[in-house]
Amino acid sequence: MEKLKANGASAIGKWRFAGNKDLHQASPSTTRSILTTLIDNLDSDESKSVILLGYGDPSPHPSFAITPIAEDAISAALRSAEFNGYPPSAGIPKARRAVAEYLSKDLPYTLSAEDVYLTIGCTQAMEAILTAVICPKSNILLPKPGYPYYEARCDYEHIEIRHYNLLPENGWEVDLVGVEALADENTIAMVIINPGNPCGNAYKYEHLKKVAEMARKLGILLISDEVYAHLTFGNTPFVPLGVFRSIAPIITIGSISKRWAVPGWRIGWLVAYDPDGVLAEQGIIESIKGFMDISPDPTTFVQGALPRILEDTQGEFLSKIVNNLRVCADICYDLIKDMPSILCLHKPEASLSTMVKLDLPLLKGIEDDLDFCLKLAKEESVVILPGIAVGLKNWVRITFAVEPSSLEEGLRRMKVFCKRHTSKSM
Amino acid sequence: MENGGSEIKRWRFKGNEGLSRKSRVTIRGMLHMLNAYLDSDDTRPVVPLSHGDPSSYPSFATTPFAEDSICTALRSGKFNGYPPSAGVPDSRRAVAEYLSKDLPYKLSPDNVYLTIGCSQAMEAIITVVARTNANILLPRPGFPNYETRCAFSHLEARHYDLIPENDWEVDLAAVEALADENTVAMVVINPGNPCGNSFKYEHLKKIAETARKLGIIVISDEVYGHLTFGNNPFVPMGVFRSITPVVTLGSISKRWLVPGWRLGWLVAYDPDGVLAEQGILNSINGFMDTSPDPTTFVQGAASQILLDTPSDFFPKVINKLREAAEICYDHIKEIPFLSCPSKPEASMFTMVKLNLFLLNGIEDDIDFCVKLAKEESVVILPGTAVGLKNWLRITFAIEPSLLDDGFVRVKEFCKRYSA
Repeated sequence: MEKLKANGASAIGKWRFAGNKDLHQASPSTTRSILTTLIDNLDSDESKSVILLGYGDPSPHPSFAITPIAEDAISAALRSAEFNGYPPSAGIPKARRAVAEYLSKDLPYTLSAEDVYLTIGCTQAMEAILTAVICPKSNILLPKPGYPYYEARCDYEHIEIRHYNLLPENGWEVDLVGVEALADENTIAMVIINPGNPCGNAYKYEHLKKVAEMARKLGILLISDEVYAHLTFGNTPFVPLGVFRSIAPIITIGSISKRWAVPGWRIGWLVAYDPDGVLAEQGIIESIKGFMDISPDPTTFVQGALPRILEDTQGEFLSKIVNNLRVCADICYDLIKDMPSILCLHKPEASLSTMVKLDLPLLKGIEDDLDFCLKLAKEESVVILPGIAVGLKNWVRITFAVEPSSLEEGLRRMKVFCKRHTSKSM
Repeated sequence: MENGGSEIKRWRFKGNEGLSRKSRVTIRGMLHMLNAYLDSDDTRPVVPLSHGDPSSYPSFATTPFAEDSICTALRSGKFNGYPPSAGVPDSRRAVAEYLSKDLPYKLSPDNVYLTIGCSQAMEAIITVVARTNANILLPRPGFPNYETRCAFSHLEARHYDLIPENDWEVDLAAVEALADENTVAMVVINPGNPCGNSFKYEHLKKIAETARKLGIIVISDEVYGHLTFGNNPFVPMGVFRSITPVVTLGSISKRWLVPGWRLGWLVAYDPDGVLAEQGILNSINGFMDTSPDPTTFVQGAASQILLDTPSDFFPKVINKLREAAEICYDHIKEIPFLSCPSKPEASMFTMVKLNLFLLNGIEDDIDFCVKLAKEESVVILPGTAVGLKNWLRITFAIEPSLLDDGFVRVKEFCKRYSA
């Protein structure tokens, strides 16, 4: 049989199928691919251990090991044989109820299970709401620095992106004046990430209220990414945006991935806060349901385990995670303070990472953040994320949620690296 | 706070028309509608002959070995993190090894992408081949999730017929007539849903040759792979990879009776690099990079499940299916109001024609099923849901005693409406 050849050969004129270009463009902008490039730049001859301070996944580290209660919950759900079938598209009712109860603990009212949709991690929740609001010519406001998956998803869906600034000198608060200037009649939504990734900040109640009021003024939907909910260890406690549901319609997305350190379990939620029925009237709820109907579902027995995971996990375990994060954040902040060419403008108080600024004039032979990270990987086997990946050139994102000893070693090597590249004139 | 309030003229966001559920024909939607007609005063058990998921029946329970495999992966602590986008490498290797058992060559793990069930594999390949003005050939009767997915991706769906008198074989002449320069692929479901057939080797070869002639990909949905119990053993389309580019979709959902575990695969057979050169593989990678992933520890269990499940489990399931299929077919033969042109030999379903001319007061297949649900608490899927009006899709994968009971009621029902 004649070998198949690409276009131009064989029995017929040409092969009629081709790839989908939209899919090619989407992938390079995700954090995963940039980190892969850095890892490829590691010096394989170098005997130093590799220290990864770039991934938002603390699960491999003993300090952030999962609780056996979560494992037991999964095992029990699996063995019950009640969860081997297809789940309903919005999620199994008792799991939706459990999430509603869990979230209601931090709200001045009780959420209904009907407002909760179970998703494959927070990632799919994000996909759901972005897909649900697409309409021609619309634009969406995303934070800068932010989480590049939003940009990738918006690109793929052909939603115009406009970036509003987070202000480093103001604890990374939202530049609300900037938001108002950016928005026009085609702006449909604004994404806020609280607690903040990549900045490691937690927004104050008053500020969140102002954000809600701005959304109402502009007539836009607020999408609050709360995947790092409760992972706060500074002076500002976590405030869920749902508290302000009477000001503007809100969609919250979250998961157990970070608080329970199980991102691989792929279970999260999208919650619609719609006391006045605006989301329903505008067709958003119908779109969310329509998305759920045609999209993949979280594993049924993981949904089945969710009530136990959410209700029975000991406060001790949850505090331990937060304490370990606090220890790491302190180490990170203290060691960075000691590096003249790196500036940390806001002490990390939440989530797993912090943004720090490169004082490039002090660094000889370093062009920009990407160059810094490539050389750091090569010379010191330390991997951190260049700020360009999250929208802030010449800054870098350091993930401190690793074993304290690795963090110390990694930052010590970073200090050595900076010294090595310090301009002679200093 | 409502639109028209004093502070703002209107809320600027609105729903996405493309997600509207209004025009969708889905099996779930149809069954939801039928279930609403069930009579809550009827003390008899409901007999569902409509699902594709028998996992709640003791005869169709999965093997404890599969559960053990999941627990082992879970407790290892190695699978709590994010998985790589194409899947955990060892799991891809396991799927490649598993599928290679039925192929005359060894499949490379690089050809395997792990997905959230066969559904996501289907989503992936449809999204990948969709482009402006393109069309795809789908079987009729078929599986309506394909139509829904194509509509969402703006890929025009054209239907070729399966020929009931020919054991539901593909009408290849129709395929050739339907295709034009914008046709990018054809979907084949083998073993068949909804027809319960298993394509012969020769026929699959002709399908591949037709695809080659037309310059299109064969997308072979093999989610019911190995669930054959008649004269035609399962033949994977990958056997014909040298004839035309093939993409296979599959999962553990049916063979292991665990659709809720959400673990499947998309396999791209591309010995001559055509899929690569045409950008298909790049697109698949792009899709994987930006799409949700199967639960990591479920992936982690793949190797044990696929390669180490004790071999006595599979014949047990096959025998149960065969037994149920026999009961089903024997009953149908005795009901003159129904005709089954092809004895089911695979999967969990059979397509049965309604002899409406023998029935009085039944308008069509939907009317038949609505009245049957209401009067007899038996739920059958109307053929309209799968593309064949005035036919029925009957699922036989339930407890044999319940199946018997159901058919007795169907017979009674038909007699009542006898012309």
